Amino acid sequence: MNKTMVDLVKATKIYPPDVAALEDFSLTVDKGEMVFLTGMSGAGKSTVLKLISGIEPPTKGLVEVAGKDLTKMKAKEIPAFRQQIGMAHQDFKLLPDRTVAQNIGMAMEVSYENFRAIRNRVNELLQMLKLEHKHDTQTEKLSRGEQQRVAIARAVANYPVLILADEPTGNLDPVTTELVMKLFKQYNDAGSTIIIATHDEHIFQNTTHRVLELANGRLIATRPTLQP
Amino acid sequence: MKFISHVLTQTGRNLQKTWPTQFMTLLTVSLSVLIFAFFFLIYTNVMKASEKLGDNLRLTIYLEDEPVPEMQEQLKKKINDFNPVEKVLFVSRAEAFQRLAEQLGDDRDILTDMNPAFLPPSIEVYPEKDLNSLARIKVFSDYLATLPGATKVQYGHGWVERFHYFTKLIQLIVVLSGVLLILTSTFMVAYTIRLAVINRQAELEILRLLGATNSYIQMPFVIEGLLQGLLGSALGILSLHLLYRWIAKLFSGPTFLNLFEFTFFAPTTIGLIVAAGILLCTVGSLSAMRKFLRI
Ligand SMILES: Nc1ncnc2c1ncn2[C@@H]1O[C@H](COP(=O)(O)OP(=O)(O)OP(=O)(O)O)[C@@H](O)[C@H]1O
Ligand SMILES: [Mg+2]
Repeated sequence: MNKTMVDLVKATKIYPPDVAALEDFSLTVDKGEMVFLTGMSGAGKSTVLKLISGIEPPTKGLVEVAGKDLTKMKAKEIPAFRQQIGMAHQDFKLLPDRTVAQNIGMAMEVSYENFRAIRNRVNELLQMLKLEHKHDTQTEKLSRGEQQRVAIARAVANYPVLILADEPTGNLDPVTTELVMKLFKQYNDAGSTIIIATHDEHIFQNTTHRVLELANGRLIATRPTLQP
Repeated sequence: MKFISHVLTQTGRNLQKTWPTQFMTLLTVSLSVLIFAFFFLIYTNVMKASEKLGDNLRLTIYLEDEPVPEMQEQLKKKINDFNPVEKVLFVSRAEAFQRLAEQLGDDRDILTDMNPAFLPPSIEVYPEKDLNSLARIKVFSDYLATLPGATKVQYGHGWVERFHYFTKLIQLIVVLSGVLLILTSTFMVAYTIRLAVINRQAELEILRLLGATNSYIQMPFVIEGLLQGLLGSALGILSLHLLYRWIAKLFSGPTFLNLFEFTFFAPTTIGLIVAAGILLCTVGSLSAMRKFLRI
């Protein structure tokens, strides 16, 4: 078995017309690892996650996830691939007119889980994230912080092998942040590979996990081990 | 199995959201089916009636002289060569006289002084009982008039031709309303589905990100089209049936309807119309997805 989950080799992303969001970026993440991506706004953190999830193709370079070269993946394989990955988007990507439960459930419906399993799972997640009372609220009526937690719940709902969280604590108070980080740790302990993009230093201050710092689309530092 | 229940759930949600447009489309589809089926019903009944009318259809060719048997064979052959017929009957002067006498019944004594040969011999031609022979009766009779020894050809009445034109007209209307049906159902359904796809663009986008398969995304739209076809044509046929019952009641009594014995579609015909409706609407939704649901 290959122990590498994510392998980016000299990945470059140039958004049209000529915005170089990422240049010659390489990153290898092993299965079961938890990694933090940090850097100033516009450094390219979200872009890295988008390349890994296959939402955006690289302009140059190689993106391999779970041993699969994403640029060579057939259209037919994409759904199954995406079902394996849970991504909490920076802009949440929730459906405003659907309830919290429906939004979270969608992630499991696409892989045809049975409805009772979905219900139980949704309740479990809402409990973990202290959102039980919002079960039937439309997400447009939630605060940003609540929406953020719904997005996280949806990302982890389908037991993905790889979790990509883009700024997961951006709108949360310290207590709720703690709650979310506990959730991630739980999944990481259970074997999920997790990549978190954030500029919230508090969440990786005392971590033993790798922290990669980006600036202007390039890797400028890796902690705690190496300092270039 | 799981797939089906998930797709049906998804379809239910969509319908809940878009039912006003869906309902309008349903009405359009059923109205087109109603119009088409209405004319088609008239057409099938006219066809049936024409078969009956054909029973009394006969052409009589009056001759100068009685043909000898070889001549009879030749004439028979000529007639059948031009247009195969059911029966050719030769009536001699004596037979004609005999018939007349029978028709006169008790008054036959007025014939006693008559020469039994005063009536001309004739050939009676019974065409095959279908609409084609009705259509070609004029041409046929013109031909028969050119047979050797023929003096005059007589057949039915002018209504035979008028009746034929009438059936032609209905045929045309059936075809036109069929085209109308095809256009409205496919286009209306395609339009509704297009609208639904546009309305749900955000949702479909997220579903794709979450890893929904093409069939999971497309099946609900196909089912919507299928339902439009099924319910639309069923509703159309049902309204036609009610209309039929109402008219039948209105004309119950000794009228022309009894003459024709106006009947409703056979179950197979109903099945075929509904199947065609389903097919058309499904094709409509498929074609809309081809255009607007590129994945
Ligand atoms: N779709 C796009 N089209 C054009 N340029 C883009 C697009 N997405 C991102 N960019 C640009 O690429 C660069 C990197 O963007 P990215 O979103 O990866 O940054 P980020 O590190 O996630 O920033 P933030 O912390 O603000 O979320 C930025 O300069 C941004 O303007
Ligand atoms: Mg970002």
